Amino acid sequence: MAASVALPSQEAQNPFVSIARFIPGVLLLAAIGFAGKTLEQSINGYAKAHHLVIPNVEYVLWAIAIGLLISNTLTIPKLFLPGIATYEFWLKAGIVLLGARFVVGDVLKLGGISIGLVVLEISGSLLLMTALGRIFKLRPKLTTLLAVGSAVCGVSAIIAAKGAIDADDEDSSFAIAAILALGAIALVTFPLIGHALHLTDNAYGLWAGLAVDNTAEATAAGALFSDAAGKVAVLAKTTRNATIGFVVLGYAIYWASRGQAEKVKNKGRFLWEKFPKFVLGFLAISLLVSVHVFNKEQVGALANLSRWAFLLTFAGVGLRTNFREMSKQGLRPFIVGALGEVLIAVLTLGLVVGANAIWKL
Amino acid sequence: MSEEKLATTATRLGLSLDVWAVITSLVLALLVRAGVLKHVPW
Repeated sequence: MAASVALPSQEAQNPFVSIARFIPGVLLLAAIGFAGKTLEQSINGYAKAHHLVIPNVEYVLWAIAIGLLISNTLTIPKLFLPGIATYEFWLKAGIVLLGARFVVGDVLKLGGISIGLVVLEISGSLLLMTALGRIFKLRPKLTTLLAVGSAVCGVSAIIAAKGAIDADDEDSSFAIAAILALGAIALVTFPLIGHALHLTDNAYGLWAGLAVDNTAEATAAGALFSDAAGKVAVLAKTTRNATIGFVVLGYAIYWASRGQAEKVKNKGRFLWEKFPKFVLGFLAISLLVSVHVFNKEQVGALANLSRWAFLLTFAGVGLRTNFREMSKQGLRPFIVGALGEVLIAVLTLGLVVGANAIWKL
Repeated sequence: MSEEKLATTATRLGLSLDVWAVITSLVLALLVRAGVLKHVPW
């Protein structure tokens, strides 16, 4: 996505003006998301009325595709950019509200399995990316950013690590472009592979949550397979996100020991600052549902609010994916990222198949 | 980068983007529980 709008300082200080500038972009996200939903319903309705057998293309894919079409064929006016960036906010709100669809027992069971797999995934991803970065002679901090992005949570992890290890803007742009491009590829390939391998909803959801880097893309890749798989993908991805502080802290200490980053003074505070607070919100809603604070209809309402929030997220995923911008970042980090991602996808698929054999996911 | 600008705006409003997302979601949950938001269609 292109640069954002710079506001005059007196406007920036007024919270109402700050919030108002998000409105055009949010309306655009809503329009695209709604168009995707309407397209899915209209095509299904037409097929049903005319007794046609047409493969169901989910609203998720429509919303992403419309966003991609707009961002790659038109120049989006700057007026819309701040609101488009709010897809991150809707993603997090959607995850918190998704807690309504998990009772605590589910969270403990699937979350417990996820934690074990996440530890293996993170260790394997960090080792793989570091080795590939050395083989391809990438700059060490760029390798660190790619490793953190692919091991934990994509763009958020890269942004968190960038500040902690004093990485260059250029390195973080490379890493972000590679992770986003690979996320876009995963959106297409993961559901196809999942269906080809006849994975169950839980197994596929776990795989998408473990292997797809960016939370928005992991959520979309899960939802593209099935609604149930989307739910599990978010849980696995959220478990992965929760580890961000530990991984970034480890790298911050490593680079500080080499005199190339500032020392972390208060490690506890560092971990809390980096911890994704929406994980706590997700657990809080899940707990409230488990102790029957909400009745069945209310749980349904919360689940639908989560779906609406994700709809805006999926539109944003398409809108911020600009292939022309990504291609400017060079091929080597992309090749390293792609090789690493393929290996991580195979590794995590093996982990999920193994877990499925043991726990019957 | 627009994500960073958004995070900066959220922080300028006193809390991080994550916390705003949690607060918004909890307020929505409260409205649903209180019956203000009765039916959310999909």
